[in-house]
Amino acid sequence: MTSKPRSGKGVDRRTALKLAAGAGLASAGGFGFARPAKAADVTLNVWTGYPELVPYYKAVADEYAKTHAGFKINLLSTSLREHEQKLSAAMPTGTGPDIFDVGANISIKFAGANLLKPNSAEIDQYMKANWSKYTIDFLSFKGKTYGIPLLEGRAAMYWNKAMFKEAGVNGPPTTFGELIEAAQKIVKIDSTGKMTRSGISMRLSGQGSGITEKFRFVLEPAGGKFIEETKSGKWHNGYDNEAGRNALQLYVDIVQKLKVDDPKVPHDADAFANGTTAMLFREAWVIGEIQKKSPTLDFGVAPIPRWDAKSPYKMLVQPWAVYVSGKSKNEAASWDFLKFLSQPNNARLITEMTGWGCNRQGVDWTPLLKKTPQFEVFVQPPKDVQTFSDPVIAVFDELESRAADKLPGLYVDSSLNGNPAKVAEAIKALAAQTDSILKTAGIYGTS
Amino acid sequence: MSAPMQDAPNSIAIAEGRQRDLHARLRRAYLAWVDMYVSRGQWRVMTFCYLALLPVLVLFGYVRVLPTINAFILSVYKWELIDPIRPFVGLDNYWGLLEDENFLLALKNTLIFSPSVVVASTLLSLPLALFLARKGKLSVVYQTIYFLPVITPLVPVSIAWKWIYDYNYGLLNYGLSLVGLPAVAWLTDADIALWALVIMSVWKHLGQNLVFFLVGIRNIPSVYLEAAMIDGADAWQQFRYITLPLLRPILLFVVVTSTINAFTVFTQVYVMTLGSQAAPGQAVRVIALDIYYNAFQYLHMGYASAESVLLFIMVLAFTIIQFRLARSQKEGLDG
Repeated sequence: MTSKPRSGKGVDRRTALKLAAGAGLASAGGFGFARPAKAADVTLNVWTGYPELVPYYKAVADEYAKTHAGFKINLLSTSLREHEQKLSAAMPTGTGPDIFDVGANISIKFAGANLLKPNSAEIDQYMKANWSKYTIDFLSFKGKTYGIPLLEGRAAMYWNKAMFKEAGVNGPPTTFGELIEAAQKIVKIDSTGKMTRSGISMRLSGQGSGITEKFRFVLEPAGGKFIEETKSGKWHNGYDNEAGRNALQLYVDIVQKLKVDDPKVPHDADAFANGTTAMLFREAWVIGEIQKKSPTLDFGVAPIPRWDAKSPYKMLVQPWAVYVSGKSKNEAASWDFLKFLSQPNNARLITEMTGWGCNRQGVDWTPLLKKTPQFEVFVQPPKDVQTFSDPVIAVFDELESRAADKLPGLYVDSSLNGNPAKVAEAIKALAAQTDSILKTAGIYGTS
Repeated sequence: MSAPMQDAPNSIAIAEGRQRDLHARLRRAYLAWVDMYVSRGQWRVMTFCYLALLPVLVLFGYVRVLPTINAFILSVYKWELIDPIRPFVGLDNYWGLLEDENFLLALKNTLIFSPSVVVASTLLSLPLALFLARKGKLSVVYQTIYFLPVITPLVPVSIAWKWIYDYNYGLLNYGLSLVGLPAVAWLTDADIALWALVIMSVWKHLGQNLVFFLVGIRNIPSVYLEAAMIDGADAWQQFRYITLPLLRPILLFVVVTSTINAFTVFTQVYVMTLGSQAAPGQAVRVIALDIYYNAFQYLHMGYASAESVLLFIMVLAFTIIQFRLARSQKEGLDG
C-alpha cells in the first residue's frame, strides 16, 4: 500500500502552522476581547450537610441560571457530621466551598476565627426585613449577622390516627400524663413477652448529640433547660433540678416500669412509617419520609405535649443558615445566588421538596397546607406554643454528645427503676459533666 | 637505661609491623566483601533498587512518618483545629486523659476487645489451616470462602452485620429461634454489644490469618514429618514438636499484625453505633473511636494527638513484648 503524492495546490506544514498561529492570536486578541466573560459565567462550589437538599439546590440553581447564563453549581453532600468535619478542616486552609449550610454552633467558630465575614449592610438589611427578630438574634455573633437563614428544624409529635382509634383514644395527647395513658393502651406485647408495637418511640440507643436533643423534648416541657445563661453571659447546667429528675424518671418509667417502649424494637421515622410505633417526636422532614415509604398512613401532627395542664407547650426551633465563605473568590455571585435562594417561592419550595420548614416571613403556605395539612404545626404553630432553641456556643455539640454517651445507659439501668434517689444521683453526675465541659471552655458561671 | 634505649627501635618496628599487618588484613577483608557482596553489577542493582524505592519511601515519609511526628508535637499543644492560636500546654493533655472517664472506658473496652479478637482469630485459624493444608478437592473452595470477608470492604460488611444482629429481623436471632433459643439484643444490650463486635471482627480477620498459616505450613519440609512418622510420632506429636516450632515466625507475625489491627479498630464500631437502632456508644467505645470524636467531632486536635501517642506507645509495647517472648522461647528451644 502506497500513499498518494500530495498535490501541489495543498498548503505546506509551515504555512499551516502560520495560519493556525494567526487564528489563535486573532481569537485571543480579537474575538476574546470583543466578548468579555459575563459576571454570571461562574461555577459555585456548594457544600451541604443534608443530602435531601440536593434536588432543592439543583432546582433553584437551574431556575437562577435561566436569568444568569453560564451559572452552575458543584454540589457536595455528605452526612451532617461528616459535613461539619470537612468544613472544619477545609475552611482554615482556604480549600472550602463558596457556599455552605451549617448549624450556628459551627458557624460561630468560623466567625470567631475570622473565616466568615459579617454580613454587608445590604444583606443585613435584607435579613432584618424578612425574618423574625428571633431568627436574626440566633444568627448574630457579637452584634453582627452572619449568613442568610435557609431552613428551620421544628419538633412536634406524630401520632398514628388508626392506632389511636383502635385503642379507643380520642385525639392526640395534650399532656405527658395523657401520652403515657395512650401509649399503655396502644403498646402490643406478644405471648412471649416481646414488644411488637411500641406506644411511643423515644430515642433510647446509639450515640451522638441527637440523643440529648430528644431528652430535651421532655426536659423543656418539664421546666428545665439543658444549659442556662447567666446575666454575665456565662453558662451552667439547667437540669440538676426537679425538672431534670422528672425528665429522666419519665424515660426510665417508659422503658422499665410502664414498658411502652424498648431499645430492642424498631425506632424513629422508619418505625412510625412502618406502623410499629404509635407516637414519635420529630421534625417536619418525617412527613416527606412517610409520603415516600407509606403514603396511605393515616397520621396527624400535634405539638409535643405539655408537662401538665398548667404548663406551656414547648417546641424546639433550630434555625439553619447558609453562608458564603470568607475566602470565596466568587463572593458577589454567591451572595446574589443566596438572595435568590431565599425568595418566598424558593423558601416554600424547600418545605415542599424536602419537608424541612422554612422561617421566612411573607410566605403563602395555603397551597402546601391544602395538599399536606400535617405541615400546619410546623409552619404555623399554635400561638400558645413557646419556642426554645440551641444556645449558640461553640461547645454545645460536645455538651450534648457527652451527655448522650451516658443517657442510653441510664434509661435501661435497673437500679434507677422506682428509685428517685438514684435518679437524682445520676442527674447530678450528668450535670457535673456538663459544667466541667463549660469550665474547660472557659464559659462556666453561675451569676 | 641503655637496654630500654636499645629495645625502643625494636618495639616501634614491631608496632609498625602489627599495624601494617592489620591494614593488610582489613584491606583483604574489604576486598573480599566487595567481591562477595558488592560486585560492580550488584552495585548497579542496589542503586536501581533504592532509586526505584525512593518515590515510595518519600511518599510513605510524607503521609505516614511526618503526620506521626506531627502528632507527637501536637500532643503538647492545645489546638482546637479552627482556632489559629495553639498554646503550648506541656503534658496537660496527657494528665487530662488520665482523668477522662471516656478515655479510661475506651481503654478498658480496647483491652477486652483486642486480646479477645487476637486469641480467638489465631486459635480458630490455626486448626483450620492445618485442616485445609491437606490437598483435598474442596480445599481451594474453602480457602476462598474464608478469605472473602478479608477482601470485602469493612463499611458494607459492618452494615450487613448490623442487620444480622438486628433483634427483630436479624439472621442470627432467626437461627436461634429455629433451635428454640430466645432472641438476643446483640447490639442494643450494653453487656453484649462489645462481644458482638468481637465475633464480627474475628469473622473478618480469620481468613487473613488462615492464609498466613497455610503458607507457613506448606513451607515446612515434608522430610521432617516423614521422619517423625517413621519414629512413630502421632498426629498431635507431629504438630506439637515439628509443625508448631517451625510455624513460630508465622505465628509471631499473625499475632503482631492481629494485635495492631485490633488495637486500632474503628470502622465497625463507628458504623454499628450509628442510628437509633445501634449499639450504645459507651458500651463499645474503643480508643480509636474516642480519638476520632475528640479530633473531628469536638475538634480538640491536641488532646486527640496525645491520645494517639498513648495508643501508639501501647501498641509498640505489646509488639515488643510479643517479640521478646518469641525470642526467649526460641532461645529456650535452641539452648
